[in-house]
Amino acid sequence: MSDTEMQPRAEPLAGSLATVGLSKSFGGVRAVDDATVTFLPGKINAVIGPNGSGKTTYFNCVTGMIKPDSGSVSYRGNDITGRPPHRIAQAGIGRSFQLCRIFPRMTVLENMLVSVRSGTVLGKLVSARQRTDIDRARELLTRVGIDHLEHAEARDLSYGQQKLLELAGVLMADPETIMLDEPAGGVNPALIDRIGGLVRTLNSEGKTFLIVEHNMDMIMSLSDHIVVFDRGSPIAAGAPEVVQDDPRVLEAYLGV
Amino acid sequence: MTGSLLLQSLVLGVLLGGLYALLAAGLTLYFGVMRVVMIAHSAFLILAAYLAWYFSQQTGLDPLLSLVFTVPLFFGVGVVMQRLLISRLRPATLTMMSVLLTFSVALVIEGTLGFLFGGTHRRIQLPYAGTSFEIFGANIALVKLIAFGLAAIALAGLYVLLKFTPLGQALRATIQHPEAAQLVGINTDRVAGYGFGLGLATAAIGGTALALDSTIYPSLHWHWIGPLMAIIVVGGLGSIPGAAIAAMALGLGQSLLQIPLGTTWAQTFFYLALFATLMLHPQGFFGDRLAQRF
Amino acid sequence: MRNDSSRTVVASSAAGWPRARVAKLTGLLALVVFVVAFPRMAADPFILSVGVIIMSYAVLATSWNFVGGFTGYISLGHASYSGLGGYATVLLILHTGVNPWLAMFLGGVIVALLAIPIGIASLRVRGASFVIVSIALVLILLLVFQSWGSFTGGSNGLRVPRPFGDEVLRPEQHERFFYLHAVLLAIAVLCWWLIDRSRFGTGLKAIREDEDKAQSLGVPTFAYKLVVFVISAFFTALGGGMYALWFGFLDPIFQFSILTGSYMVLMSLLGGIRNVFGPILGAVIVGYAMEFFKAQYGDTQIHLVALGVLLGIVVLFMPDGILPALRGLVIRFRPQATSIREVTQEELTRDATGSREESATDRGTGTKEEVSG
Repeated sequence: MSDTEMQPRAEPLAGSLATVGLSKSFGGVRAVDDATVTFLPGKINAVIGPNGSGKTTYFNCVTGMIKPDSGSVSYRGNDITGRPPHRIAQAGIGRSFQLCRIFPRMTVLENMLVSVRSGTVLGKLVSARQRTDIDRARELLTRVGIDHLEHAEARDLSYGQQKLLELAGVLMADPETIMLDEPAGGVNPALIDRIGGLVRTLNSEGKTFLIVEHNMDMIMSLSDHIVVFDRGSPIAAGAPEVVQDDPRVLEAYLGV
Repeated sequence: MTGSLLLQSLVLGVLLGGLYALLAAGLTLYFGVMRVVMIAHSAFLILAAYLAWYFSQQTGLDPLLSLVFTVPLFFGVGVVMQRLLISRLRPATLTMMSVLLTFSVALVIEGTLGFLFGGTHRRIQLPYAGTSFEIFGANIALVKLIAFGLAAIALAGLYVLLKFTPLGQALRATIQHPEAAQLVGINTDRVAGYGFGLGLATAAIGGTALALDSTIYPSLHWHWIGPLMAIIVVGGLGSIPGAAIAAMALGLGQSLLQIPLGTTWAQTFFYLALFATLMLHPQGFFGDRLAQRF
Repeated sequence: MRNDSSRTVVASSAAGWPRARVAKLTGLLALVVFVVAFPRMAADPFILSVGVIIMSYAVLATSWNFVGGFTGYISLGHASYSGLGGYATVLLILHTGVNPWLAMFLGGVIVALLAIPIGIASLRVRGASFVIVSIALVLILLLVFQSWGSFTGGSNGLRVPRPFGDEVLRPEQHERFFYLHAVLLAIAVLCWWLIDRSRFGTGLKAIREDEDKAQSLGVPTFAYKLVVFVISAFFTALGGGMYALWFGFLDPIFQFSILTGSYMVLMSLLGGIRNVFGPILGAVIVGYAMEFFKAQYGDTQIHLVALGVLLGIVVLFMPDGILPALRGLVIRFRPQATSIREVTQEELTRDATGSREESATDRGTGTKEEVSG
């Protein structure tokens, strides 16, 4: 690791999401390799890198979908390494998936009511859907602009609408940190603008973002802090204009 | 318990374990290539046993000769079954729906056998049925040895095929990582079909071996599917060596427990091993990434 | 033009809401009336006994559907719980002399408690292990109950003491048990409906649709699955216990039969697992067909073939069941449905993301009104 000097292994910032030496291999291929990253709380962080550089695997390790082989993940001073995904979600980290994942045979409104931030199973069993939850769901649907579809089955929505639904569903639990895996993937320019706008507004309301994205225009205009991955490891980090000119980043992307 | 009785049980356990290992390898193949729990595996086993019995009854020839046509037939049926039935299911619900589909196939086979041959217990009359010999004081029937030999040869053949042929390589790649296999140009659909064919071929061989020294009847397959499924869970779903080792271990355990407990209670050993495995080590003892998810 | 059609939509969907509800309530009322009147209409005790059998299947299939319908986990071994429920009820009566109905309830509780470790073993990982355990459990229980003669009566079976005195004649017995089963069914249906409306139910359905995604949204999937599994085992055991009290005899071969479990699956799937009434409809169709088959052809092996073929057809060609298919037909043939859909589409493309938003994929089902029903 040649880049440790720029990723100091000091105590992560209070309130931030950070990983230290996170690694994960699949049958000899090191998908994530000793990733030590600290994300800035309250900011829009981006994770970029060439295809197959381990960004999604990294996301999956952070959110507990995959158990890392070694290393640790901490959030707001707590070690959350290897916790089951629902615990990590309940700790306040929401995420979307690369190929948009919604619940196809449930209505849009039902999709919104899945998320759980707290409470016991028994509590959920006896409580009917709360009026307040439904109101909140409608408010969020209005916010992303698909409130008129609340009774439609999610599978009948267009891909763009499904993406908006997924985002709204993540917001339902009111997570402090939101991880988006390719929010602009497969959607038209108008919708990219719209999603970008939403991210910006939510950020101004205090949400921290971690975004994996290939759309450079979006990343450069949106993010405060960029981490560049190559072959499973972070090779550079900093403000957009700094990262843009980093020779290691150019090398990784262009293979110079 | 005397030493020779113990030895006898050990030898019988190994002989039984060999057959279990072959059949569990087949079950693992289906699961590996398509994530399908093939409930009908043991129904095909009994079907092959019936075919061997019917063949020897009609022709008067040795039932082992029925392998000449049952193995290719079962291979073909496996490929067709994968292509026409299993591959039609939606990927999202594949695991569950394939269970139901193969379960219904098992019912059809059991019902058809019952309809054609009745519920009567059948047994092949072999000229060498009574032949047995002593190994270190253990009395072993020749038919059991033949059955074991058959299973061992088939298992070795399967091993060679998986390890040293291009098809085997494609199969292993598909089992380990279907997406990656596709990326390197393997037609995983076709490979899955062959995987199914091979799995059913093990049932054909196992069934013939079974017919040599067992009484068969249509609903017998339920006695086999439980232990076989226990074996593949203990071995770790998708791991062929794991299945073979677990088969040997559980076969031996069953055989040894028969001495103090009797045949019926000894069978519960499989289920206890199944529950213990899921409680303590849900991915099985030789399982990999695959088993953790299922 | 656009304004006009929009207004039409609002008007018709506003009127459609109560209409759908009225239709549903009318249907429910008709069903209740039919159930209440059935014993009077039944021509002879045999028909009435078929009614009891179908009612029992409806209870079992509905109980099965707590797991199958909500989570999508297919259990082929639910006969374990009905069988255990039956045996628990009878053994409690025989050994403690407790009131039969209390014994039935206690039997349900005991089975629910037993279901906890079973659920822990089989639900921690995904579907395959669950299926394997469900089948293994039936096989092991059959083995145990056949062999443990001193306690369970073994292969000879167990005679069940009658809950009603001998002075109550057969037809009267049938009638009482028909109603008792109906009450149990109503309770199970009510529970299913309550869960369906709860946040818990939403989480369960999310597990059925996409378990990883549900967990990423904070749903404790294992705990949810375990709870609904225990509820399902409880109701199945009650169903088994009540059937035992009616039938009067327990034979391990039939109590712990893989076929009983597969009937529950077939009925639920055929009717539609995502609807509370699906399993009941399936129970009526399959139960009637089975009794008809038995009466016509006796107990041959052909019924196995028929069961297998039917199950295969359902799995391959109509995994959603009859009720959704019927609903689809209704939607297709309702005249105003198309106009609503067109405008909804138009609205949605206009409102959602401006004119450049790609139009909704046309998969033929689910407009505003119908889906919500």
